[in-house]
Amino acid sequence: MPLPPYDLDVRPILKSGGAPFGVIMEAVAALAPGQSLRLLAPFKPVPLFQALGARGFQPAAREIGNGDWEVTFSPVDSPAPESKAASGEADWPEPRLCLDNRDLEPPEPMVKTLEALETLAPGETLAALVPREPLFLFDQLRDRGHAWRGSFEADGSYRIVIRAGGLPGKPA
Amino acid sequence: MVQGATLSRWTMTWFATALVFLIGAEALMAAGYGFPAVSAEAPESLVLVHMIAIGWLSLLMCGALFQFVPVLVGRRLRAPGLVLPALVGLVLGLGCLLGGFLQLAGTLELDVSLLAPAGVLLPLGFALAAWAIGCTLWEGRPLAPAARFVAGGLACLAATAALGVLLVCVLSGMVTTFELVALRARLLPFHIAAGLGGWLGFTAIGVSYRLLPMFLLSPEARKSTSGAVWACGGAALLLLVVVAPLALVVGAGTDIIVAVALLLAAAALVFYGADVLFFYRHRRRKNVELNSKAAVCAFAMLFLSALLAAALLASGSMARHAGALLYLVAFGWLTGLGLSQLYKIVPFLTWLECYGPVMGRKPTPRVQDLVVEPRGKVWFVLYFVSVLAGTGALLMNWDSLFRITAAGTLAATIAIIGELVLARLLVNVATERRLPAGASRPHLFLPPLRHG
Repeated sequence: MPLPPYDLDVRPILKSGGAPFGVIMEAVAALAPGQSLRLLAPFKPVPLFQALGARGFQPAAREIGNGDWEVTFSPVDSPAPESKAASGEADWPEPRLCLDNRDLEPPEPMVKTLEALETLAPGETLAALVPREPLFLFDQLRDRGHAWRGSFEADGSYRIVIRAGGLPGKPA
Repeated sequence: MVQGATLSRWTMTWFATALVFLIGAEALMAAGYGFPAVSAEAPESLVLVHMIAIGWLSLLMCGALFQFVPVLVGRRLRAPGLVLPALVGLVLGLGCLLGGFLQLAGTLELDVSLLAPAGVLLPLGFALAAWAIGCTLWEGRPLAPAARFVAGGLACLAATAALGVLLVCVLSGMVTTFELVALRARLLPFHIAAGLGGWLGFTAIGVSYRLLPMFLLSPEARKSTSGAVWACGGAALLLLVVVAPLALVVGAGTDIIVAVALLLAAAALVFYGADVLFFYRHRRRKNVELNSKAAVCAFAMLFLSALLAAALLASGSMARHAGALLYLVAFGWLTGLGLSQLYKIVPFLTWLECYGPVMGRKPTPRVQDLVVEPRGKVWFVLYFVSVLAGTGALLMNWDSLFRITAAGTLAATIAIIGELVLARLLVNVATERRLPAGASRPHLFLPPLRHG
């Protein structure tokens, strides 16, 4: 018998001006295997669809009046494709490299990540923790034809998994 | 294509135009034009004030926001096609405004008043810029704390422009209603509060909430204090920018409104000071770079301005010394902060533009290799010392000393701009590492041509 979903109402947090991302990520981390997360929010939390999609959760959203939304994130067997650069991908291989670039001074997190990426064979992946959502890195990855998935961590840092491009049929 | 989606094409052009106005205004002050040789409300002084407030600070702020707001909300800039027309509108509008003031001063003689087109072009330019920034913010809801300050700043920009147009109507003689003409002098402080405190100040505070943790590697702002800065500062601005002018128009008194607003603003500054200290104390970056050190001086000038304001109010000499206070706010805090952040942003964007394509593939210089900090430090020390001395000279009504200090500020500014140019030209990078194959040399201040 499946577990009842874990309920989380982030409306009070948002109303008081807070950012609920950390709380949501903590709740996700605390879910039992197979358990869903039922989220109540004052808007349709589209950015979360991507972030939790990368962690293998499928969203089902419905409006419940007053502009509020109820979204149930249910775990699926394989992670949902997340970024548009990664669309149509099956499971990615385990990261061959894991980098922790959180304490580097900008733009070193980006430089170190791209340096490591150069050592990968096409199709291989690496995972990197960076201090913030790496918007400038996304540009570089897009220009160079790599695919990526990313999400925020509970501490506000950002974890990105990059798959080296250059496979047949992939933009290089 | 070198420039990625998150590099704003025209940012350097905005910065360069802004710096030209800054040098122009500082040169006029060193030459003894306008305040303090004539009164602060004389047309000559208005020329100076608007070269600084619109030409320098507003263009700098807009250019920075086009680059910064997309990073803040994690989305591309909306309506990027408006960025260049906004710059053209603002520069033409400002040209008309300055020309109009010169007409009032009798320096320029033309049959038609230039103030009327200024009253159209400037709001139009600001509206185009605010539309692009505002739409980008709108898509980024719910707004992060830093973005909320920017949104508040944009609202104040609208209020500043509205009050400015009203003042222009009176000054140009387009409106001759006795009540409005009589109100002009009393509306002026609220125009200044909306522009300097709201649009430029509140936005600068918001931007610093994101840039400081980014450059110092500190944790993000604590929600309670940054929320208090937002609430107290926002309430103070609402009172000064909306409630007080409306009270004036309906003939009510504004003393209590202004008093409450000043108390709220003081509370906001105390909370903001606590947050700035928090960022510096909890930084993970051990060596503080020159931009962050110079920013500390600028923050010190902000708090010094607050103390000076309190002292002037307590001694009843605000009316006599308001010019000195505004000088300290505009040059000590806002210009000091602007120059210090340009000292980081310009090399960073240059580095990204030039070495982005080869990053990770070939060894590249570090961002810090584009600048020579020991030299830059001399210019920033000269800058802040001469601004402090200039404020002192204004307080003592010592005009000749003020011109000497203004020359010092001008020299320091030119030197800092020289350092920015050298960074753009990659002059400080060792020749053999300057341009690895695949890197592209950036243009000085115009964007690269579009390919494809």
